[in-house]
Amino acid sequence: MPCALSEMTDPSNAPTTAGAPAADVILSGRGIRRAFPVGERSLEILHGVDLELGRGQRVSLMGASGAGKTTLLNILGLLDRPTEGEVWLNGQPAWSLTTRERARLRNASIGFVFQFYHLLAELSALENALLPAMIALPKAAYRTSREQYEAKAVEMLERFGLGDRLKHRPGQLSGGEQQRVAIARALLLDPPLIIADEPTGNLDSTTEEQVLEILLEEQATRHAALLLVTHDKRLAQRCERMVHMEDGLIQADSALPIPT
Amino acid sequence: MYRWFLSLRYLRARRTNWIGAAGITVAVAALILILSIMSGFLQESRNHLRGNLGDLIIMPNQDSPLSGSGRVLPKTDEAAMMEIVRANPHVSGASLQMAWYGMLVPDSKSALLKHPVFGDLSLIHLVGIDVPDEYGASDLQENMQASENTGSFKVTPVADLQHPFDPPPFYRSEGAPKAGIVLGAQLAAAWNLHPGDEVELFSLGVDPITRSVEGQGCNRTFVVTGTFRSGENAMDMERVYVDRRALADMLGRTTAWSQVLVKLHDYEADKVGAVASLRSSLAEGGFVHRPSGDNASDYYRTEVRTWEDLRGNLLGAIENEKSLMGIMLSLVMVVAGFTVFAILSMMVSEKRRDIGILTALGAHPSGVMSLFLMIGCWQAFLGASLGAVLGVLGALNIDAIETKLSRWFGIQIFDRSIYLFDHIPSVIEVTGVAMIVLGAVTCTLVFAAVPAWRAARLNPIDALRFE
Ligand SMILES: Nc1ncnc2c1ncn2[C@@H]1O[C@H](COP(=O)(O)OP(=O)(O)OP(=O)(O)O)[C@@H](O)[C@H]1O
Ligand SMILES: [Mg+2]
Repeated sequence: MPCALSEMTDPSNAPTTAGAPAADVILSGRGIRRAFPVGERSLEILHGVDLELGRGQRVSLMGASGAGKTTLLNILGLLDRPTEGEVWLNGQPAWSLTTRERARLRNASIGFVFQFYHLLAELSALENALLPAMIALPKAAYRTSREQYEAKAVEMLERFGLGDRLKHRPGQLSGGEQQRVAIARALLLDPPLIIADEPTGNLDSTTEEQVLEILLEEQATRHAALLLVTHDKRLAQRCERMVHMEDGLIQADSALPIPT
Repeated sequence: MYRWFLSLRYLRARRTNWIGAAGITVAVAALILILSIMSGFLQESRNHLRGNLGDLIIMPNQDSPLSGSGRVLPKTDEAAMMEIVRANPHVSGASLQMAWYGMLVPDSKSALLKHPVFGDLSLIHLVGIDVPDEYGASDLQENMQASENTGSFKVTPVADLQHPFDPPPFYRSEGAPKAGIVLGAQLAAAWNLHPGDEVELFSLGVDPITRSVEGQGCNRTFVVTGTFRSGENAMDMERVYVDRRALADMLGRTTAWSQVLVKLHDYEADKVGAVASLRSSLAEGGFVHRPSGDNASDYYRTEVRTWEDLRGNLLGAIENEKSLMGIMLSLVMVVAGFTVFAILSMMVSEKRRDIGILTALGAHPSGVMSLFLMIGCWQAFLGASLGAVLGVLGALNIDAIETKLSRWFGIQIFDRSIYLFDHIPSVIEVTGVAMIVLGAVTCTLVFAAVPAWRAARLNPIDALRFE
């Protein structure tokens, strides 16, 4: 069903379908539904989610396992097409764009940090961090701006304490080190939105603290929006807004006192 | 940019990629090698066959009446005939021949019993020639010289090339002086005949007009003066040369010729024109038939022919063999393509997560596709260029390689005595090599396209879900 029609039939969405969201909104998901075919039937996981993120906002997304957080993140991160609804990213209706435009938008506007780091095993730490620029630019253009990106990536990795690990392969790095490389990769092109799905879910508490420190600090200084899925209440406390999901719907969306 | 970078990284990371490239190398090298050798065979065969035959062969059908003129037979006046032939501007040399069949028995008849294998009295092609003329129309002169002496059948040159049928100087005749005979080298070897030995030819005369066998057989003793080696197996086994008049005399024939060998100044350029003009001028002179429109009696088309017309079957067979070999070996290419397919499919499955990551970082599906196509491309490129180099080097040195391999394995891979030539011929055709390389690259890319397409269609969230 075309999303415009479904949004019109759903009165709760009526005010927001009028067009592009306000300029200070980086991400806006409207009336997002997602159903997966399971055997003959279709199982709906997201039942019409509306979520808006302001520029520079730090939002945590919580909820029980199976609530649909990752499913929502995949849709908001332009990796998975919603059955219904639209995602506005940086003023553009992402799921109405062509595949190529959407890929470009994802490349320029979103930095992903995954729970399992997801670095390419054949590439060194530095090369992994440079990957978004390699994808963004054709060969000739990359060659001319390579030094600039390399300097930037090296500077970040050094700042993250990986100055002597630049040439290491992911297999030679600890989990915390890998996640720091992944953060550098996510930040290379200065995306206005960072999406992190349980970025410390796989780390011990000391390492978790180091990695979070880096992520939150970078996010703040860059004034990038951060959508952070976590099961950790203390971590959610450090966000200015906490969204709670339950069974494919947003149950609570509360502003918190800005943490230090 | 990432496509170049990652394709090279992936290529280097997996050793199986080299297997894919190696498969292409083998296929390309084998194709180039075989096609070069087949081209060499073809070229060498053409050279040999042509040299033995002259450029054109005029074989008038002397016992069939000229059309539209009742029972008037073609003229047989050899001098007038040769005048017409030599007057043709394309012709550089022409020679009368008298060809007939007979049997040859060494004078020491016990040889028959000693060599039962060779003792079957197979038919011998008796060719009567005029000596200086023949040298100008065929390769006989070269074939009688010892420069051909490589391989198993050695040529024993005649004492005097200008008079090849003069008995050797050391020969002492017991009775009447005997005429000389030049044998095919294989025939001479089979009978263990040497210059100075006497052989007896048997034959039957045939009346060219009534076509009836003229009563008794005839026989005559000749003295071996030398041998020739044409390189064509059948010819070296079955042909003997004698003086044309001597043969006519033995057979008791009045018409002492049956065909004319013609050499052209420029065969490739003039063959069509020369055949046409010779046909019309000879028909004009009453030596050959005019086109009658009636197929059954239309001798016109067979009376003046190029050597290719005459040997079309053999050349066609080699050409067929070449294309068949090409097709068979293209299957090797397909197998190499399957290898690339399997390797890339494996790599796509293995790199599912990487594909998901690249998509998340903003790679377009077409980019993912070209990344994997590029890996196939590298394999094709490396494999095909290495294969081309090896194939060309192999084709250039095939003789040395064959000798070495034969020595290693203790078997003779290329038996030089059964072919037309003493070396393995090979001709490298640049366009052929280019086509093979191009074909290999195309084939590999077609096979690589399937896994690459699958990679592009991979759903990134499936690829990213689990560690
Ligand atoms: N491709 C799919 N096909 C069918 N069902 C799916 C698919 N992807 C997710 N689901 C289902 O959707 C539900 C939500 O999954 P999701 O991964 O979004 O949960 P989550 O909130 O991220 O949980 P967790 O906290 O454990 O990561 C689950 O019940 C899951 O089984
Ligand atoms: Mg999840």
